[in-house]
Amino acid sequence: MGINLTDFLGFLNLSWQSLVMLAIGCVLLWLGIAKKVEPVLLVPIGMGCILANIPLGGVSEQGGFLAFLSEAGIHTEIFPLLIFIGVGAMIDFGPFLSQPYTILLGAAAQFGIFGTFFLAYLLGDGWLHILDFSLRDAASIGIIGSADGPTSIFVSTTLQSKYTAAIVVAAYSYMAMVPIIQPPIIKALTTKKEKMTKMPYITKIISQETKIVFPIITIIVVGLLCPKATALIGALMFGNLLRECGVVSSLSETAQNELANIVTILLGIAVGGMMIGTQFLRPETILVFVLGIIAFALDTAAGVLLGKLMYITSKGKVNPMIGACGISAFPMSSRVVQKLGLQFNPHNHLLMHAAGANTAGQIASVVAGGAMLMLIPLFS
Amino acid sequence: MLNALWVVILGMVTIFAVLGILLLVMLALGKIFKPKAENKEG
Repeated sequence: MGINLTDFLGFLNLSWQSLVMLAIGCVLLWLGIAKKVEPVLLVPIGMGCILANIPLGGVSEQGGFLAFLSEAGIHTEIFPLLIFIGVGAMIDFGPFLSQPYTILLGAAAQFGIFGTFFLAYLLGDGWLHILDFSLRDAASIGIIGSADGPTSIFVSTTLQSKYTAAIVVAAYSYMAMVPIIQPPIIKALTTKKEKMTKMPYITKIISQETKIVFPIITIIVVGLLCPKATALIGALMFGNLLRECGVVSSLSETAQNELANIVTILLGIAVGGMMIGTQFLRPETILVFVLGIIAFALDTAAGVLLGKLMYITSKGKVNPMIGACGISAFPMSSRVVQKLGLQFNPHNHLLMHAAGANTAGQIASVVAGGAMLMLIPLFS
Repeated sequence: MLNALWVVILGMVTIFAVLGILLLVMLALGKIFKPKAENKEG
């Protein structure tokens, strides 16, 4: 009886791709555990990556448990929506509701999504044909600029991109890098006088009725005008309604804690399970990461530029730096701008204004995702 | 190439249109549901 050892000994089947991916998995775990970079996501993703690249382990093959999780939660788009219920329950839209004009900053800061989409398509099937980027792939790469993990997953899986795993890892990694990416761009685009602009915060009391009606109205308005965004905005605002309605505090707490935590574990490990060496290690993956950082930079620049326009039209009452918070990396972006504000004027507390733009960016990024899902099939 | 340009233009127009309408609705909401207490400057 002849026994072929390569049939049951994993290490005899190790390819260079498996080895590299095992190393990447370890780096992700190190970043999460030792450096505390988005540990809630990077620890499960890192572990999923290691599991998926053990030769003969079969966890990411048909019938394997990570393949099952990916099929059940990511390809059906259930996990990002469940996460969004939790996110909605965590967000206080109060600062945004007291300064509704910040929604325009959120809108402008979505330019990075479309600018990067255009660039990716230019490098791919659109013109240069250097990389294997179809229109759908380019749109999925652009959505990294939403600075929002669930939206990135939802859009890239709906558009059936080949690069979903890389897109998700890039989206979550760059969200953690907002304090490094944003300040140089904000500083470069604003003058000293603009940076020092003081914005007194009016403690505007928002009625409970407004806070309850807001999520319902938002679902109806966004859903009717941009139907493809209904699932995302619906989940986000449902979570927020649980928080604000005041009669289901146990559901709100469950959404914020147990639901968000359980789905984060399952989503993270399933995303890691999609990082299979032979599919992940391609030149295109590196470009996905490069384009992702460009998306964040363009978002920041577009937000600041609209902020500058508001500075001019308001005769110096709006600090343009808060425009950078139009990306939905909440609350990191607000903290970055608050810190910069204090650096240039020790008495200038921009946090609440920045938080308004930041939560507006959360809604704007969902609308941007819906717009992408609506437009791409029309032009494919 | 032109189709991608259209996606960029229509995408940004869609975002500003949807959020612009939402802004108007929110301003209307603020008028309908006025808070009972006075606003304070901080």
